[in-house]
Amino acid sequence: MNQERIALDQLRPGNSARIFQMDLVAPLLKSRLSDLGVEEGTAIKIKSRIPFGGPITLEAAGQLIGIRQSDAARIEVFLS
Amino acid sequence: MKNAALIGNPNTGKTSLFNKLTSSYEYVGNWSGVTVEKKVGELRDNSGLLTDLPGIYSLRPLSKDEAVAAHYLMEESPSLLINIVDASQLERNLQLTLQLVDYGKPVVIGLNMTDVAKARGIEVYSDVLADELGVPVIPLIARTGAGSRELLEKVRELEPPSDGMAAGHLFYGAAIEEAVDRISRELGAASFPKDTRASLRWIALQILENNPAVMDALPHGLNDSLSLICASCSSRLEAEGVSQSIPEYMKHIRTERINRICRKAMDRSHQKPHSLTERIDSVVTHPLFGLPLFAAFMFLMFQITFDWVGNPLSDLLDSFISGPLNNWISDGLSAIHASAFTSALILDGIAGGVGGVLVFVPQIFLLFLMISFIEDSGYMARITLLTDKWMEKIGLSGKSIIPFIIGFGCNVPAIMAARSIEQPKERTLTMLLVPLMSCSARLPVYALFAGIFFESHQALIVLSLYLLGIVSAMLAAKLFSSVLFNGSSSLFVIELPPYRMPQMAALFRNTWEKGKGFLRKAGTIIMGGSVVIWLLTFCGPSGINVDMNDSFLAWIGGLVAPLLSPIGFGTWQAGASLITGFMAKEVVVSTMNIIYHAPGDLLGQQIAHAFTPLQGLSFMVFVLLYTPCLATVGVIRKESASWKWTLFSVGYCLILAYLVSFIFYQGARLLGFS
Repeated sequence: MNQERIALDQLRPGNSARIFQMDLVAPLLKSRLSDLGVEEGTAIKIKSRIPFGGPITLEAAGQLIGIRQSDAARIEVFLS
Repeated sequence: MKNAALIGNPNTGKTSLFNKLTSSYEYVGNWSGVTVEKKVGELRDNSGLLTDLPGIYSLRPLSKDEAVAAHYLMEESPSLLINIVDASQLERNLQLTLQLVDYGKPVVIGLNMTDVAKARGIEVYSDVLADELGVPVIPLIARTGAGSRELLEKVRELEPPSDGMAAGHLFYGAAIEEAVDRISRELGAASFPKDTRASLRWIALQILENNPAVMDALPHGLNDSLSLICASCSSRLEAEGVSQSIPEYMKHIRTERINRICRKAMDRSHQKPHSLTERIDSVVTHPLFGLPLFAAFMFLMFQITFDWVGNPLSDLLDSFISGPLNNWISDGLSAIHASAFTSALILDGIAGGVGGVLVFVPQIFLLFLMISFIEDSGYMARITLLTDKWMEKIGLSGKSIIPFIIGFGCNVPAIMAARSIEQPKERTLTMLLVPLMSCSARLPVYALFAGIFFESHQALIVLSLYLLGIVSAMLAAKLFSSVLFNGSSSLFVIELPPYRMPQMAALFRNTWEKGKGFLRKAGTIIMGGSVVIWLLTFCGPSGINVDMNDSFLAWIGGLVAPLLSPIGFGTWQAGASLITGFMAKEVVVSTMNIIYHAPGDLLGQQIAHAFTPLQGLSFMVFVLLYTPCLATVGVIRKESASWKWTLFSVGYCLILAYLVSFIFYQGARLLGFS
């Protein structure tokens, strides 16, 4: 398989990906994302990016969530 | 007598279900953290009580409001649990369900939003789900109330499980189960818990999950032996080749079980995307239009509250109260031959003081109605997205905007809503800044002054005051976060619920719930305050029925008047209004109604004599920013659990109000305004 591994914040709206690892994510945020069903292996789809460097919204585990760009940069994904 | 608890994820319609199941009214919202305190209602069939707990994703709390549920389960003994589950989000919701079935009390599942799930092409077979979990499952549509009668019937006939364990309880694997047995024996030996609350198994599982809310309730002598058990469990897992921590591994076991359940109990082969929500989101979170739209919505909110609907209604009410109602009271008083003292107390004191505030009921209820609409529709969560970047720059998170917007209605629930902010620094800072959000109680003051001095630009003046409050809060946030708090990391993650058209009935109930506090205040603190204030104007050091300028109130107001003269209103009347306004900010208007009352002369004309337009503006600025009202100070004390922060909030508001008014008033005078 030829899959590209990049940081989540590099994706554009409409891109789909699967989370590879989130070891660098702050523990509190990681727990909250895990509550929402967002973990290693979860499939995600980028919905929109709020202007002026604001949060990124993504669809994951059947719901929409918003996270900060700086946090998204710490999540590594497989582009699909 | 049943004592049921209602538990579920945020945004699952839990509070709507609470309203349908109980005969009391409750507050409904559509974002995480509406239920900031547990609420108890009487079940509709009078078979017992129902406690509504804040929404949680897992029993292990990450924020202050989430800890409420775990504390409740540890410290109280509900006779059964009603677990509300969102059918369109089954996998995520079942994580909590699997934690609850081990609690040792009967569980009944209310499978909510079956209509939403169906519309999205998700089919959930409730009977299969019930078989798999070993607990009854009742399909529901909480918004309309469909299924709530069946749920109540099920609650009535439910019997406690005979062996203290639900049929569907989960086997966590040999390593965890051995640790559960060892912990249960330790707890049993320490005879904890003393009564029949949670099952030992459930407490043991929570200890393995490292749930702080449960650990805190344990007897202290156990800590060492419990951490030994956890350590040996963790090394056994490692030997078995598990690389995760115990809580992660337990969640993994649950996820596997949930996947097996969902394969049988759910068909999502025809699932459709959130098309309506996506279409709305593509507009309201648009890179170019998102922020301008937010600003436009806020402006619209003010236009409706004041110019378009609120003020005309208020004028009608005012002409009724000061005209026919006043005449009826005065006719009634002369019919019963009331003494001059009684007549004056009732007409000038109570009718003047309370009536002067009651005329603002239309604006206040409209504002609450619109805040309820923003909450229930799901737009509130999008506002947090749009503002997060700006909030982060000043040391807050996008979630702080929720308490701020609620604060425009009333600061008290706003400070409680700050509980859903996970990061302690951001939560404290948000609580300190909420009082700068101009609450509806300050409206009567603006409306009175702006109506007198700036009749044609009333909305503009009031809007500027709101903006001044917001700008002050931003600057104070930046200052406090860099000076008072050291750089702890910030956190922002928000679930964006699908948009829903708020139901009229829920909106009105919600508005009434919030607005009735204002009416209650009018009947209690404002009426009582008005009587006291009138008596203070009636009596003086030299006796009773004195000239108002020689009254006790004049004396009290006169004490602070010299301090106020550099900011433009060094009169005893202004001083007395501000001091009494600490009870509740509407009382400023009540006091002025009493002080400036003169037969045949309207309040407006009196105030126009006493203040210049510039002084009036400076007074409004001061009222906006000065000391939060008594109720707000009380709730800051309760929520922050710190006198230091409470006194700080009172102190900085006073200093800020004085500084801003001073700069504004003296600056404008230098520029030649009066």
